[in-house]
Amino acid sequence: MSFIEVRNLQKSFGPLEVLKDISFDVQKNDVMAIIGPSGSGKSTMLRSLIQLEQVGGGSIRVDGDYLVKDGIYTNPTDSKIINSKMGMVFQQFNLFPHLTVKQNLELAPKLVKKEKANDYGHRSIELLEKVGLASKADELPSRLSGGQKQRVAIARALMMDPDILLFDEPTSALDPQLTKEVLQVMKNLAEEHMTMIVVTHEMEFASSVANHVIFMDDGMIIESGTPEEVIKSPKEMRTKRFLNYELSK
Amino acid sequence: MSYEYFMSMLIPMLEGAKATVLLFVIAIVLSIPLGFLLTLAVRSSIKPISYLAQTFIYVMRGTPLLLQLLFFVFGLPLLPVIGEYLVFDRFVAATIAFILNYSAYFAEIFRGGLISIDKGQYEASQVLGLSKWQTTVRVILPQMFRVTLPPIANESVSLVKDTALLYAVAVPELLHYAQTVVNRDFTIIPFFIAAGIYLLIAFGLTVVFKYLERKLQYE
Repeated sequence: MSFIEVRNLQKSFGPLEVLKDISFDVQKNDVMAIIGPSGSGKSTMLRSLIQLEQVGGGSIRVDGDYLVKDGIYTNPTDSKIINSKMGMVFQQFNLFPHLTVKQNLELAPKLVKKEKANDYGHRSIELLEKVGLASKADELPSRLSGGQKQRVAIARALMMDPDILLFDEPTSALDPQLTKEVLQVMKNLAEEHMTMIVVTHEMEFASSVANHVIFMDDGMIIESGTPEEVIKSPKEMRTKRFLNYELSK
Repeated sequence: MSYEYFMSMLIPMLEGAKATVLLFVIAIVLSIPLGFLLTLAVRSSIKPISYLAQTFIYVMRGTPLLLQLLFFVFGLPLLPVIGEYLVFDRFVAATIAFILNYSAYFAEIFRGGLISIDKGQYEASQVLGLSKWQTTVRVILPQMFRVTLPPIANESVSLVKDTALLYAVAVPELLHYAQTVVNRDFTIIPFFIAAGIYLLIAFGLTVVFKYLERKLQYE
């Protein structure tokens, strides 16, 4: 069974249909890249999975449990459990500016999981080492570069030990040099078989790290397959046009 | 001017300053939390509560503080039926007016502070599984207090000076004693002493708030 199963997902903002009949599957250990022009609905789709957006119809199933079934959401207790299996990394990092790097990592384990200081204390240092920022543990986010902030944000998401990480354009706010360090961390996660869905404009990353690529346009999935299929030899006109544009940048 | 004469002016004025400081401390300590509750009421999804709070803020900010003072000190006892139960000590009645008036201003300050907080902070808290309460207390409020500290400092200094309005409702305070000596001895020195005391209090506040701002700095 797929880890995430999305069927006939629909969403509208007023009269504007942003998601039209979206269906796809994510398996454990998949790295799925979602590409497409701005306004294609890819961020909305990702945000729907973790309940930052409410969908109007369709189903989302995570690890066998329905978050939404035919447009009807499950009860708050169950949806909280489903949410806790997912972590999210935002384009704008969204670190807590009044807390140090270490406190950013430890807030949720402390408050939500009621972990002991000893447990989350060790893990936060481990994860900061993993993203190469152990030396910044006691700094405030305002003292970090964009790339460092995003690596902290990834570590913060990992603190909750999610089964899957969702990335919403994680490098779009970064310059090329800083983009590289963030993509490296994500690449390492992929090698450790972390399940990930990544909304991205980084075609290089999509083709080299992802094992599955979805191209979205106008609220629909236009093309879906391996990176070789979708990025190297796209079939649809719209995909070709988008890739030409992206790769010429 | 002899030292004895100077002291004979200063000592009653310091006595009056006690009332000034007492009013200030009570008003600030109670109006800040009340203002925050008002902000929450305005943002409440229960419409009647929100409208009630908005109307209260509108009335308190839209009418002169002096009018409110006169109303609470002299007006309340004149109300039909309930008036006889609303006879307070003048200082108490005036303090209530100050608390209500300033809570409306603080409510507006806090509302602005909450608006300034990026919605990404709520989203990050939500995906990490924090409850609404945890998000408010651990993520939003600390940032809101930092943002609102400068306008709160500003209002506090205003409050110190507004305490002089007690003069109008015949509650003895700093300015009252200054004016008494001016009338008695035909000298303007008490006005300068009074100004000095107000400035001293304002200076103390500035130091305290600057310290808080530095301490809560995260940018």
